[in-house]
Amino acid sequence: MAEPLTHNLVHFTRYLRAQGLRVVPDTTTDLMEAARIVGLEARNDAYHAFRAVTVSRPEEIPVFNEAFELFFGSGRRFVKPREPIELEVHRRGPRVHVIAPTTVQADLGDQEDSDLHEQAGASAVERLATRDFSDLTESEYAAVQLAIARMVWKPADARSRRWAPSAGGSKPDLRRTLRQMTGPSRDLMPLALNAPKPRRRPLLVIADVSGSMERYTEMLLYFVHAARGRLGKVEAFVFSTGLSRITRELRHRDPRVALSQVGIAVHDWSSGTLIGEAFAEFNRGWSRRVTRGGPVAIVISDGWDRGDQAVLRKEFATFARSVHRVVWLNPLAGRAGFEPQTRGMQAVLPFVDDFMPVGNLADLTAVVRLLESVPKRKEVTRG
Amino acid sequence: MTNSLKSVDDVLEALTSERYVAERSLGVAVHLALQLGKPLFLEGEAGVGKTEVAKVLASILDTPLIRLQCYEGLDVGHAVYEWDYPRQMLAIRLIEAQGEGAHADVTDIMSRDYLVARPLLQAVEAAAKGERPVLLIDELDRADEEFEAYLLEMLSDFQVTIPEIGTISADRPPVVILTSNRTREIHDALKRRCIYHWIDYPNFEREVEIVLRKIPEVPEELAGDLARAMEKLRSMDLFKPPGVAETLDWAAALGVLGTSRLSPETADDTLGVILKYQEDIERLRAVGVEQLLATAG
Repeated sequence: MAEPLTHNLVHFTRYLRAQGLRVVPDTTTDLMEAARIVGLEARNDAYHAFRAVTVSRPEEIPVFNEAFELFFGSGRRFVKPREPIELEVHRRGPRVHVIAPTTVQADLGDQEDSDLHEQAGASAVERLATRDFSDLTESEYAAVQLAIARMVWKPADARSRRWAPSAGGSKPDLRRTLRQMTGPSRDLMPLALNAPKPRRRPLLVIADVSGSMERYTEMLLYFVHAARGRLGKVEAFVFSTGLSRITRELRHRDPRVALSQVGIAVHDWSSGTLIGEAFAEFNRGWSRRVTRGGPVAIVISDGWDRGDQAVLRKEFATFARSVHRVVWLNPLAGRAGFEPQTRGMQAVLPFVDDFMPVGNLADLTAVVRLLESVPKRKEVTRG
Repeated sequence: MTNSLKSVDDVLEALTSERYVAERSLGVAVHLALQLGKPLFLEGEAGVGKTEVAKVLASILDTPLIRLQCYEGLDVGHAVYEWDYPRQMLAIRLIEAQGEGAHADVTDIMSRDYLVARPLLQAVEAAAKGERPVLLIDELDRADEEFEAYLLEMLSDFQVTIPEIGTISADRPPVVILTSNRTREIHDALKRRCIYHWIDYPNFEREVEIVLRKIPEVPEELAGDLARAMEKLRSMDLFKPPGVAETLDWAAALGVLGTSRLSPETADDTLGVILKYQEDIERLRAVGVEQLLATAG
């Protein structure tokens, strides 16, 4: 009797894993233990017990429910193994043509001798720095991506409530002082000092992926992926009519995989834009969960909005209050004669600390530089 | 003791006897955690009774409750142990005053006597003595990742090493309850060591039951009114939906006012008890407070 159950639980664990639950091989053992403790007679108890050892966040409960029904639903007797079912995956989202850095390097090397190098002595990357993302050829596109991957990030630290030993510190560390006293005696007893330990300020990115942003979306997501790789503490969301969190999808080291996972996870690519609704959704559903530690918020959007401006203004004001600093990146802002006159931009500008263009590589570099000088104190200059 | 809790039903019965109205799923999770000796990780919105589970459990098991409130920057000195510096200093002075003849051993002032045990060490020491205290690590989401990493280590082997003294370890782990309001995600590695349970808002019937059990003076009609109003409020897309704690506060407040049924006026007068954001109060007033009283249908 026990053998088929084990077999089935192994399959069950694997299936949950395939569905994206963070289970480990040990989970099967936990399931066995759980089955032993609560018994399998009462299906409801077994359900709750299995759930308690496999699920670790409420969003996983519906996934678990489906899996449980599939394996142990009414009619099944906890023994019949069932092969995992191939899921149909709908691929949508940005066309991904990220080229692996090694290939790009080879490409650039080749071009060194040819036309790129001859152009007025400027290096390929310098020349590309001010070219709009939407005007790049395939190989230039790859060169820009490589430059993004190589960016040096040195964001300004945030205040921290944690202390670390420091000779120039301000707070005596009695524990270390006492311990030093137990050593060889000295005439002067040095006081060990602590200073606040620097803390990395988190980054929160909310990017517009609606139709009007289409030509920039991929490169900008590539940039966000690079930021995540370098900084670690990056929360990312995209919106058009609705809001989707893509933090988990961006986790994958390989930008090609990460971006295609984003493509699968997000359902309303390139449709219209409701910026106010997206921020309302953020404020209600996510704000309290992802704005800890005073993040710098980077909002990427051209401000074309079909929604209600009063809603946008109110929600964006709330949003701005819950983060350390609001940086708004607009791909159109770098163009000659640009004025932030879209209704959406007008509504949010009072709450934006830094308004910057984001149409080319030089703009992205400027953003990275800006992060180096974010003040420790939140600037409050809003009405 | 745990021995009397042999099944899920035993656990639920014990919880009820302590006036904690629990879903069966919570009973299963508690039972599993106790039997497997694993920590219980309770997550849910504020005010759904997470902390209460630990208190009630300590009372059921008749053991002390050791509580560690988490906050950003929580360090070993506040979570595990700290030396008693003033006493150490005094001891050093004393030795100095006794002059050349005194033979003091420095290890004396680095002994257990000069140590102040904080919650985690208290729990391990109690467990090392064969007790099984309930250790509540409250609002873990408020602590930073560094403390989480320390906790991960601690929860896997239940031992504390103090360089000057040695390692104190417990054969049988204490009953550990961790809670999180989800102001950030707790790392998967930590959750994986735990039995996880998401506490949801109770349904109408259960909320009425909770109010009546916790505050028996409340008339049944009023409890029904409150539970119905709460159900509406929670579906209203508020910035901070009220929890069960707010329902109980509300019931108590209305009790003070001598109310037996909820009316739009009394509800409006007491909104501050249940809604903590001006935005939310405005939102409710915009749709009309009387909406809270409309019966289903």
